[in-house]
Amino acid sequence: MIKTEKATKKFGSFTALNELSCTIPDGCIYGLVGSNGAGKSTFLRLVTGIYKPESGKITIDDKPVYENPEVKKRFVFVPDELYFLPQASMQRMARLYEHTYASFNIERFQNLTKTFGLDPKVNLNGFSKGMKRQAATILALSTMPDYIFFDETFDGLDPVMRNLVKNVIYSDVCERKATAVITSHSLRELEDTCDQLALLHKGGIIFESDIENLKTSLFKVQVAFDKEYDKELFKGIDVMNFVKKGSVANLIVRGNREKTITLLQQMNPIVLDVLPLTLEEVFIYEMDALGYAFKDMII
Amino acid sequence: MFNIDKLSGRPVYEQIIEQMQYLILVGGIVPDEQIPSVRSLSLDLSVNPNTIQKAYNELEFNKITYSVPGVGRFVAKDAKQKIGASYDKKVDVIYDASYWLALAGVEQTVITDTVSKAFTNAKRHMVERMKPNDKN
Repeated sequence: MIKTEKATKKFGSFTALNELSCTIPDGCIYGLVGSNGAGKSTFLRLVTGIYKPESGKITIDDKPVYENPEVKKRFVFVPDELYFLPQASMQRMARLYEHTYASFNIERFQNLTKTFGLDPKVNLNGFSKGMKRQAATILALSTMPDYIFFDETFDGLDPVMRNLVKNVIYSDVCERKATAVITSHSLRELEDTCDQLALLHKGGIIFESDIENLKTSLFKVQVAFDKEYDKELFKGIDVMNFVKKGSVANLIVRGNREKTITLLQQMNPIVLDVLPLTLEEVFIYEMDALGYAFKDMII
Repeated sequence: MFNIDKLSGRPVYEQIIEQMQYLILVGGIVPDEQIPSVRSLSLDLSVNPNTIQKAYNELEFNKITYSVPGVGRFVAKDAKQKIGASYDKKVDVIYDASYWLALAGVEQTVITDTVSKAFTNAKRHMVERMKPNDKN
């Protein structure tokens, strides 16, 4: 279990993370979304012990992370800016990883390299940006980590590769209760892969939820009546947003879908449609309710 | 076995539960037969194993499946009846739809013909091992 307790990270006078607390249980695939400068990379670097917080605690299974090899050997980090040894090939990097991580699995390395269609003997400088990202991902996955951290890695992989990586992660989650923390710019990216999602903005987590719950917690209802009505008619329902054009109203409702439909049917509407919301729409309305303008946050 | 639509907006775990129940009702999986493991389903459908776990937990909570530790999960003996019981509310849906169609001037025979067609297809789907979304 990863736990941060009121972690604060400053760079000079700039506060990158402000008393951030969160708990990531084992076996979770945790997605972190946020705009540039929100603090996603800083968060990952704190959790992996690259940075030391000004205040607060960062622990994995209750053991502090910073400068603690006993904890660090259990996880691997794929950063946004990749680094390889000068003139190294994937094979050379694999040797480095083998000596650093006792759990490095050479068979997995060879299988993944073959599946991704990469040449392990070639100088990595000759790889395209996408291929470098694939190489870094393969090396990281081959360490058989308990925790794997991806900093916007998926944003640079093509759909086929993304699927392959997802499946390896799923397999590790099933076999070893491995935990993955993935940051991204794109909700769409994370929606399919993660089971928990958090929104980071200006150094704090302002929203965190189970993805499946997010999708069922809010829904859209389109309703029309042949009489005059206004928002008051729906007093018994938790309406987050109400837009009326002519006789048709669009409501964003929080609550139980079936109960809401039954209630509305009893009012004898001439139109009643229930529509699901995309994850992005759910975020927009939830943020709106919290007083934030979502469009300012995600680019 | 399952057909998950990730873009539909319907939560994946709901789709898994619904399709599992459908398979049980048509006889595609029978009582005491083993259902796919979380791992195999996760890799087959490329779906987060935690999502599948959630669906499986709910099926077990509603006693539609049971687990044998170290072996796997199986369909409960009276799963069909349990699922059927939860579908009782769907009769009200038929009343509502028929009521509105009647108001709209649709002939009663259209409705009764549709009901007959549904029953015929259901019987057909139970004999031939599952063909979901067959509406003719």
